Amino acid sequence: MSAPAQIEDYAPSLATRRLSRLRQWDLIGLAITLATVIVATLWAFPLYWALVTTFKPEYEVVRPGVQLWPEHFTLENYAHVLLQTKIGIWYLNSLITSAAVTILVVIMAAGAGYAISQLQFPGRQLFWWMILASFMVPIPALIVTHFLVLSQLHLINTLPGVVGPQLIAPVTVIIYKQFFDSVPKDFREAAVIDGASEFQLLFRIYLPMNWGVTTALAIITFIGAWNLFLWPFLAVSSEDMMNITVGITQVHDAFGVQYARDLAVAMLAALPVAIVYLVFQRQVTQAIMLSAGIKG
Amino acid sequence: MSASTIGRNGGAPHVELRRVTKRYGAVTAISDLSLTVEKGSFTALLGPSGCGKSTLLRMIAGLEQITAGQCFIDNQDVTDVPPAQRRIAMVFQSYALYPHMTVRQNIAFSLSVAGAPRKVQDERALEVARILQLEPYLDRRPAELSGGQRQRVAIGRALVRKPEVFLFDEPLSNLDAKLRVQMRLELAKLHADLGTTMIYVTHDQTEAMTLADRIVVLDKGIISQVGSPLDLYNAPANKFVASFIGSPSMNVFGVDVAGVKDGRATVVLPGGGKALVRVGAASADARAVELGVRPEHLSIVDPQDASAALGGVVALIERLGNSTLLYVDTPAGQLIVEGEGNLEAKTGVSVGLNISEAHAHLFGAAGATL
Repeated sequence: MSAPAQIEDYAPSLATRRLSRLRQWDLIGLAITLATVIVATLWAFPLYWALVTTFKPEYEVVRPGVQLWPEHFTLENYAHVLLQTKIGIWYLNSLITSAAVTILVVIMAAGAGYAISQLQFPGRQLFWWMILASFMVPIPALIVTHFLVLSQLHLINTLPGVVGPQLIAPVTVIIYKQFFDSVPKDFREAAVIDGASEFQLLFRIYLPMNWGVTTALAIITFIGAWNLFLWPFLAVSSEDMMNITVGITQVHDAFGVQYARDLAVAMLAALPVAIVYLVFQRQVTQAIMLSAGIKG
Repeated sequence: MSASTIGRNGGAPHVELRRVTKRYGAVTAISDLSLTVEKGSFTALLGPSGCGKSTLLRMIAGLEQITAGQCFIDNQDVTDVPPAQRRIAMVFQSYALYPHMTVRQNIAFSLSVAGAPRKVQDERALEVARILQLEPYLDRRPAELSGGQRQRVAIGRALVRKPEVFLFDEPLSNLDAKLRVQMRLELAKLHADLGTTMIYVTHDQTEAMTLADRIVVLDKGIISQVGSPLDLYNAPANKFVASFIGSPSMNVFGVDVAGVKDGRATVVLPGGGKALVRVGAASADARAVELGVRPEHLSIVDPQDASAALGGVVALIERLGNSTLLYVDTPAGQLIVEGEGNLEAKTGVSVGLNISEAHAHLFGAAGATL
């Protein structure tokens, strides 16, 4: 009966090895979890700090030392921002310009992507190369040119002036083109035989078949337009035409900068984007991955 | 045959291709081809992959530009007419059903893009759904349908347009064997009910033989033969058609012509045996020829029998129930013999093969039937 004895001898050592391997995995898992928690805390701390600060009176904010929780909880900063500033108009301006940018970018990019992907016309290849080349030029490098053009068109200090340069969205065109390329040509041909026009093909076949991409691109475009600061800051000097991001800079009084108030308006400015992100998290992630794929 | 002008006598031509050529750069897919399709006929375009059958269908549909030549539908030159105005409807291999639309919307799509009132769209969709037994599925999306139901929706989408000509591009290829047989019957019934001209592309000779009343066999962009299924089976114009039509394929092997007399050639088979084959007048001085005989036209006899033209050894037996296939190794190579379902045979046994004179074919050096 030597064989069973050997098995018995061997069995505990196998079990021990498995256990130690599990422990080893657990340790690695624990280390990764800890590292993640630390990084997440480091990342989230400024947000927490900003949020907590908005509920502090200004004298607590400027007091030396780190104070993780308000000594005197107050909503005075929010009250000031909501009642004493033009935040309502800034919100509205942001909403109008961001919605306009989103709708126009999606329609124009889908149209351009469809044309490059599906239509045969002279200069199609050149057009495509130009779009590819254009997204290699950083937008801030063109900002002076944009300002001059819009100034000559008398669009400075207007909402269309804020929207205009944001309509340059080559990445969106490229993403649409790639998705339209992947639609099997049978769909197009079946619709062509059925008498569909190019517009009907785009709006009734290609766009609905790529609805997920459109949703993702629309959300990310909206968030980008809402968060944009540099161009709206340059294009607008009138307080009534400002976006929320630019409006933040206007929250001061005779006593100078009040940090708690500034942070309160920043929180309010970020709120819609945070809500959009939370609601459409999956689509936003998809859009970021799509754009990352293009940008390589 | 530089210009393959083939049509059946009698019926009115409904679709006509006149000397059409299709080139893709330096590659010629269709070469100087002419074809007429009669009104109300069911014509199959049959051939192996890459023979140009789908290209031909797409040229009729207007989805491919014709490089040279003309296309007529109902005596109207439609060579430069857009697909939507050709009064044709096409069923694609992939069905091309719009995944975001319901069955009803898919069927009514052509009416919808034409701006037909919603009521008309619904009525026509319902009418078509009734014909194709799709009524219970009208509000489902394609993803919720089986392969056969999707196929029916694709046909329904074609049907709703009330076209002059139906074009089918390998519509049953994506179905399993059982469903394919069922859909074949439904298509045949549909054709019988509607009487509309149908042109059907397939690489499956069984589909072509069972559905079509006329088959156009294509090879490398030219027409090899046009005829009824039995014409092609019994009197193939060349070796390509003879080999392509029929399952299992015709046995073809090299023979020597010993002499031709009174329309009958005496051929010397590999192994020294002789056989008589009926031939046309053109074969009098042919030397390098091949003999073609279908598996069911070879019969097993005693190796010593006087009627045994070839001798061989049974290498493999396949029992299909209604018939038995014997793979016999002979001096002419391995030949397939089709016998009765209950044929008694054993592997490794020597047998003699008798060739039915009435059904043997002789092919010349270029492959044409002599």
